[in-house]
Amino acid sequence: MLMPKKVKYRKQQRGRRRGKAWRGGELSFGEYGLKALEPAWITDRQIEASRVAITRFIKRGGKLWIRIFPDKPFTKKPAETRMGKGKGAPERWVAVVKPGRVLFEMAGVDAATAKEAMELAAHKLPIHTKFVSRAESF
Amino acid sequence: MEQIIVEATPRDTRGKNAARRMRCAGQIPAVLYGGSGEPQAVAVNTKQVAGILRSESGHNTIFTVKLNGSEHKAILKDWQVDPAKGSLLHVDMLRIAMDVRMRVKVPVHTFGEPQGVKMQGGIFEMVTREVEIECLPSEIPDEFKVDVSGLMIGKQLRAADLPLDPQKIKLLTDPQRVIAHVVALRAEEEKPVEAAAPTEAAPAEPEVIKKGKKEAEEGEEVAAEAEAKGKGKEKEKEK
Repeated sequence: MLMPKKVKYRKQQRGRRRGKAWRGGELSFGEYGLKALEPAWITDRQIEASRVAITRFIKRGGKLWIRIFPDKPFTKKPAETRMGKGKGAPERWVAVVKPGRVLFEMAGVDAATAKEAMELAAHKLPIHTKFVSRAESF
Repeated sequence: MEQIIVEATPRDTRGKNAARRMRCAGQIPAVLYGGSGEPQAVAVNTKQVAGILRSESGHNTIFTVKLNGSEHKAILKDWQVDPAKGSLLHVDMLRIAMDVRMRVKVPVHTFGEPQGVKMQGGIFEMVTREVEIECLPSEIPDEFKVDVSGLMIGKQLRAADLPLDPQKIKLLTDPQRVIAHVVALRAEEEKPVEAAAPTEAAPAEPEVIKKGKKEAEEGEEVAAEAEAKGKGKEKEKEK
């Protein structure tokens, strides 16, 4: 699973997910990509599940870039615990995603294969996404 | 070459409200600058500008801007796109003089299947998609087309290999810059299910650089919490 090697603080505040992804919204490496259309916290498990789905589908050939990294910890209180007594323990890691963010990029495969692989990956994610390619963008 | 004319109207209003109304009406805010004239805020037709960007010569297309009865030769210097919808938000148009050399970025396109992909099973990868050149506006190429069918694993196509006329076009990008290469495929390791299971159950915590609470402290915290919980239950039983 993806997670930071070192952190300055163990716990973070939740923050808000307003606005669009004004950075990381363009294809930078590959020919095709998967773009988020909604804001969400994407967990390390979801990213890993999508990666596995893509790599299993394309088998050999093709290159994949993961454009998001889960660097935000979220905490959880144990079950049947009364409220209060401080913030819970770090549970997992998430990537904060805003609409327009490119999540994955691919190269070295044809458009049909890339689209199908991205669709499989999209099924593992909690948000609506769209398939993007260099040919269609400005 | 077909001449493209873009009708521009001067823009007096400023701000996001006016810009949004303009976009709803099929126009986008733009600015015309450079050359001898002053910068001018204008509004242009979205479809016309999108058509220019999607044309074969793309953003290097030279077009005529009609503004207040006068005509200016221009190219699209910059453009902003909505990250989620992909629609155009704003464009920068640069006035150009046809007799002055200018710097532009030209896309590089490849054709042919590299030998390294066909015979050796490698992956063809584009590293640089645009190169910067200096030339007269009338001599800007639409694209650089390069045949990569001879490329083997470990071999690169560099900027110096691009087919350009040195008398007309000056390459500004570093000639040693890699444009494309064929790399060997790195086999993706699939972890066995048993090995993957424990990591899912309890992810290890990363190292805290400073100030962060140590594991021992955390343990104490949990113990104190459990103790408090136990006491609460005892009190309830007494009641």
